Amino acid sequence: MFCRRALVGFPNAKLFFCDRFKHRFLRSLKFPKHTIQFHNGCYTRTTRTLHTSAPLLGAKLLSVDELFARKSLQEHLKKIQSEYNQCLQAVNHGGAEEQCREEEMRTRRSKLSQMVPLIQNIMELDTKYKEMAENEALLKDPALKELAELEKEECLQHIQDLREKILDQLVPEEEADLSDLVLEVTAGVGGQEAMLFTAEVFDMYQGFAQHHGWTFEILENAPSEIGGLRHASVSISGSESYKRMKFEAGVHRVQRVPKTEKQGRMHTSTMTVAVLPQPTEISLTINPKDLKIETKRASGAGGQHVNTTDSAVRIVHLPTGVVAECQKERSQLKNKENAMKALRAKLYAIKLEEVTSKRYNQRKIQIGTRGRSEKIRTYNFTQDRITDHRIGMTVHDIKSFMIGQDLLEEMNSSLQEFSNQEALMEVLGENEREGL
Amino acid sequence: LHFHFSWFCFVCQRRGQFHSLHTCSPPALPVGRITALQALEFWKKHFEESGVTEPDLSSHYIVAHSLGGKTVQQRKLTEFLSREKTEQIWKLCTKRLSRMPVQYVIQEWDFRDLTLTMRPPVFIPRPETEELVELVLTDLKNKPSSGDTVQTCLEVGCGSGAVSLSLLSSCPQLQVVALDRSQEAVELTKENASRLKLQDRIQIHHLDFMTEADEACSRCSPVSVLVSNPPYLFSDDVKTLEPEILRFEDPFALDGGSDGLTVIKQILTVAPKILSDRGGIYLEVDPRHPPLIQQWVEANVAELRYVETRPDINSRPRFCVLQKKQRELDVK
Repeated sequence: MFCRRALVGFPNAKLFFCDRFKHRFLRSLKFPKHTIQFHNGCYTRTTRTLHTSAPLLGAKLLSVDELFARKSLQEHLKKIQSEYNQCLQAVNHGGAEEQCREEEMRTRRSKLSQMVPLIQNIMELDTKYKEMAENEALLKDPALKELAELEKEECLQHIQDLREKILDQLVPEEEADLSDLVLEVTAGVGGQEAMLFTAEVFDMYQGFAQHHGWTFEILENAPSEIGGLRHASVSISGSESYKRMKFEAGVHRVQRVPKTEKQGRMHTSTMTVAVLPQPTEISLTINPKDLKIETKRASGAGGQHVNTTDSAVRIVHLPTGVVAECQKERSQLKNKENAMKALRAKLYAIKLEEVTSKRYNQRKIQIGTRGRSEKIRTYNFTQDRITDHRIGMTVHDIKSFMIGQDLLEEMNSSLQEFSNQEALMEVLGENEREGL
Repeated sequence: LHFHFSWFCFVCQRRGQFHSLHTCSPPALPVGRITALQALEFWKKHFEESGVTEPDLSSHYIVAHSLGGKTVQQRKLTEFLSREKTEQIWKLCTKRLSRMPVQYVIQEWDFRDLTLTMRPPVFIPRPETEELVELVLTDLKNKPSSGDTVQTCLEVGCGSGAVSLSLLSSCPQLQVVALDRSQEAVELTKENASRLKLQDRIQIHHLDFMTEADEACSRCSPVSVLVSNPPYLFSDDVKTLEPEILRFEDPFALDGGSDGLTVIKQILTVAPKILSDRGGIYLEVDPRHPPLIQQWVEANVAELRYVETRPDINSRPRFCVLQKKQRELDVK
């Protein structure tokens, strides 16, 4: 079941992944931070993800050169160019015949303007190829050889940059990538030990948020008797917060001798992370009439009659039965605002699930918006290693990792790169499917 | 957990073992060190046994405050408390045993985005009043005249300053005149205004709107907004209030007369003299009041128009919005 389609594009791919080679590949495939939204006819997508697949033994991150060597990529670029030209023609000659189809013209024009940056890069790349070819001739001339060598170096660098830009522009951006998120952590199997581990993972993400300068607002939490965490809900906002945190969703597994263990035996416990993107007003509108808001002051006359410190607010979305509550703040109004945030994130997650579950998706980097049952990562304290099963990446020094800074950042970036590559492959794969 | 039986009595403020037991005998301090979680659990249980309302929240907020936060951070639960912290928690929780509201025990509470100092007997803001501010803010922002022009608002009965200071904090263009018949309230509002650095845009006067309305009018030129959370309880209901309110909060902030409308009627009678044309009035009232107020205004205050009744978060009719009619044009 797993990823057979994704492997179609890897005719010579080696199915193992060595830590040694990782760094070389990662450095060669530097995706720049800035992603440009690109709609390309049939493969516009609002979101990626979802279903799980059994993890592959390992995966190879292709270099820029390898990707550009692929026929599917070359054909895809040609297809884009021809589409652009067709569109351009239609817009230029459309005036006379299609006066009534103003809407169509507007869509065409907007589509054109969105394609322009990519087209420019493709054309520039072609120019650079020509320059390289011309330069080759000069290499043979002994007098100009040195200069030609320098030219060649520069040209190669430009080509590399352009290729990276183009790859980045080809990877479709998710609608949710620009949003903030609600993070939910829940203790899984393992009793008190699982709850302790949940608290540690929670702290790790708090550190990660701080590392990135994101806000980290606790909406609700339920601690255990010995300082662990049963579950907690946090609102995280900041630049690229959802885009990064989405890779943390899933089941995290810990293997160690628990603090609570008297006989020194190793235990395996789990906790679940769910990452819910925070929708904008436009992506999700809720009718106030659909909401039932409950507070502790509901009975009696309220107002001046009662003094209370219970400002918890509970909101029920009547059509779906989804509930969100918040009691973290002392101000009832703030609790209501936070509960609404959590509710919107939950409803949005449901909406996204509906949309994406219709797409047949076999990607390896699955991003479970509701924390599915796949184990994505194992934290083995005895061997002091953390393994992410989706990309087969292992990191050492759990203590540093769980501070939530550089080591987690590195793993997160790798996941991002693999995910981008998978998205790209999917775009190219669909291209092949259409028989172009 | 063993407790040594030597305690500091907060009623008579003396340490010792040989003085007569008071009716409240607070629990003794623990002998060894305890964790925050243990303190929480202990006091929650003790509040329950003593019939103190909201035992778990009381314990939670007092311990949190002693630890320097608003809520107890989960990681701090298992930390051991220092001697000072333990004594502080015991001292504050003992106050709660006398049914003193938590807000007075920790001497602060939140209202919308603000944290305000609280002190008995000044009235503690209720959650419903957060929505009163929301109403006023929405209208202020929608007013066509807003933008660059400075608007003035009058609050009758400012208490701790919650409403006035929230408005000021959200509206940089706003100036506020706040009145209260209680000297303590005036001082507390001044203190909160200073803490929040809003003192430059607020004037606070010690005036009783029932008897010194003319004086009040002279202190402020026509205002575009009049807002109030006046005492609106029916006198009979005051007797049935819980100890937290009866023993500690200013009865003048609660009792609105036999029908709860005494102060409200005064405000509405005087309002036309203070408001500019088309100025708005925003009142928080008892859920039984809105139709009565509407009737009364239509019969007795020709210059005012009853605009609407708005519900609170629990769908009770809670807020009355009125407007001063524009002179010369309205011939109704």
